Amino acid sequence: MRILLSKLLINYPYMASVVLFIIGASTVLTRSNLFKKLIGINIMESAIFLMFIAAGNTRGGAVPILDQANPGASYINPIPSALMLTGIVVSVSVTAFALALIVRLYDSYGTTNARRIAEMRNGVADR
Amino acid sequence: MTAAIRANLPVFAVIAPLFVAFVLPTFARRTRLVEGLVIFVQAVGLWGTAYLARLVLAQGGLPIIYEVGGWSAPWGIELVVGNLGAFFLLVVAGVSLPVAIYASGNLAKEVEGARRRAWFYVLYLLLGGALAGMSITNDLFNVFVLVEVATLSCCGLVSASQEPSGAEAAFNYLILATLGSGMILGGIGFLYIVTGHLNMGFAARALATVWQDYPHVVWMAISFFMVGFGVKAAFFPLHIWLPDAHSVAPSPASAVLSGLAVKGYIICLMKVLFHVVGPELMQVFSLNRLLVLLGMVAILIGSILALGQDELKRRLAFSTVAQIGYIFLGMGLLNVKGMTGALFHIASHGIIKSALFLAAGAVITQTGKERVSELAGVGKKMPITMGVFTIASLGLVGIPLFSGFVGKWYMLLGSLGAGDYLAAAVIVAGSVLCAGYLFPVIRVAYFEPAPADDWQEPGVRQRLALILLAMGIFVLGTIPGPLLELALAAATDFLVFN
Repeated sequence: MRILLSKLLINYPYMASVVLFIIGASTVLTRSNLFKKLIGINIMESAIFLMFIAAGNTRGGAVPILDQANPGASYINPIPSALMLTGIVVSVSVTAFALALIVRLYDSYGTTNARRIAEMRNGVADR
Repeated sequence: MTAAIRANLPVFAVIAPLFVAFVLPTFARRTRLVEGLVIFVQAVGLWGTAYLARLVLAQGGLPIIYEVGGWSAPWGIELVVGNLGAFFLLVVAGVSLPVAIYASGNLAKEVEGARRRAWFYVLYLLLGGALAGMSITNDLFNVFVLVEVATLSCCGLVSASQEPSGAEAAFNYLILATLGSGMILGGIGFLYIVTGHLNMGFAARALATVWQDYPHVVWMAISFFMVGFGVKAAFFPLHIWLPDAHSVAPSPASAVLSGLAVKGYIICLMKVLFHVVGPELMQVFSLNRLLVLLGMVAILIGSILALGQDELKRRLAFSTVAQIGYIFLGMGLLNVKGMTGALFHIASHGIIKSALFLAAGAVITQTGKERVSELAGVGKKMPITMGVFTIASLGLVGIPLFSGFVGKWYMLLGSLGAGDYLAAAVIVAGSVLCAGYLFPVIRVAYFEPAPADDWQEPGVRQRLALILLAMGIFVLGTIPGPLLELALAAATDFLVFN
């Protein structure tokens, strides 16, 4: 038990990312406000970015630029950070597109509540 | 010049549509130029992919490996045109050319404004480029980026219709699909942490030696991939977004979304499961049982839900859920026949469902009737459109001589070979149910008295596209030849050489 606990404590960035992921995913799935859904998506993606960057980190590691004076120094793995730059760009474009859709939905339904929108649409279909 | 193009053909297959997509908005108002350019790039793409496929077949299945930017494998990104890549490139190019021809004739009736139509073509080409990339990339992170490009363009295509329900369906699709992308990225992260590689070949080799040390992490990675790609491919319990999104989109968009986009994600899942994880490890985690079981449920539930829909495009959308079930079932059988059937079904369902959606779209734009019960007598007024619809229905049911039969036959042989008689029974039952939801449309269209309305056949380009697709269904059913060879070789690659 103590070993497990100490492992969890040492790897606290991963724990944080798990907690964030659960918060994000549950927000997306349970909230009916469109903005809250979108924020949930962003929290969830941040959790994954955090996991990647934590995976690339080395304790006490230097910037990954080859230092001629000290070639054996430990440095962090730059690949996950580079990948997450791409991931952040993707996440920003998803957010922008979703906001544009929310504007259109608000224009036509006058609300940003997914449940109310579904009710209004079904009401139209029944008539 | 030609030698340079030929040497770089794999990367051109991906970037040519992307490049044209970025150029299109600069002359968005000149609709005819836009349409001409789109059809031209698709036609050239079909020619190029046919050349690549012939090259792969001539090499006896040895893949053409292209290193992007000249960086070799573990550092750079690899594009591998193997049997699977050539197969899916051919399917993408073969389906998107007729759909582009159809769109050039029909889109004006479904999307208002020249600028909006130009943007529609931009998204269409982005989707085509992303699908081409997904079929040949050999890099896990590249898969994620292409999946995101495809997802965003799919959502854009869904929201292209002016109705407010289009925006709602697109938003729901976007939220669920982004949840799926997050899962896929997480899965890639777990695999990267365990193996230290993003290249699929290197990751597979590393995973084979280290998975026993980290079984839980590998298990997490696989479940993240299954849920992530499952949401995007509308695999049974995760299909809830599909009927709304595919029925509200303009009909050329529905055709590519149902026919191709969903398959692109399945191809990526296949690559991850069979190339990286490998069939042995799938058996250890009994993933194959899960795939077969959920596939069977998807076939039955999807077909039964399709039976209850009166709106024609919604019925076709639910039918897609059932047909996706077939593909997953064939994957889960873990033998060459079943896998060949699944791959061939990807091709034949792509063509058939595009033909069905395009014919339904032509009926809807020409008559204004969206419900099956209102289509009395359409068959007499629009013989070509309904004729193609009939051929495609026969194909989807799996009548011999039509393409759907070949895939289902191989899957049937595969399930009997695996000793799974329940799966074989479900494959047959799914065909019967498929007849149950498609033949009533044909019966209403041909055998009920037509009203006095003056319904016309759609324009020349729509008819040409429909006839091309119908010919495709017939040709694949009678002489499946090279495409079946590629599917068989790809299935053997997946299962034997791992």
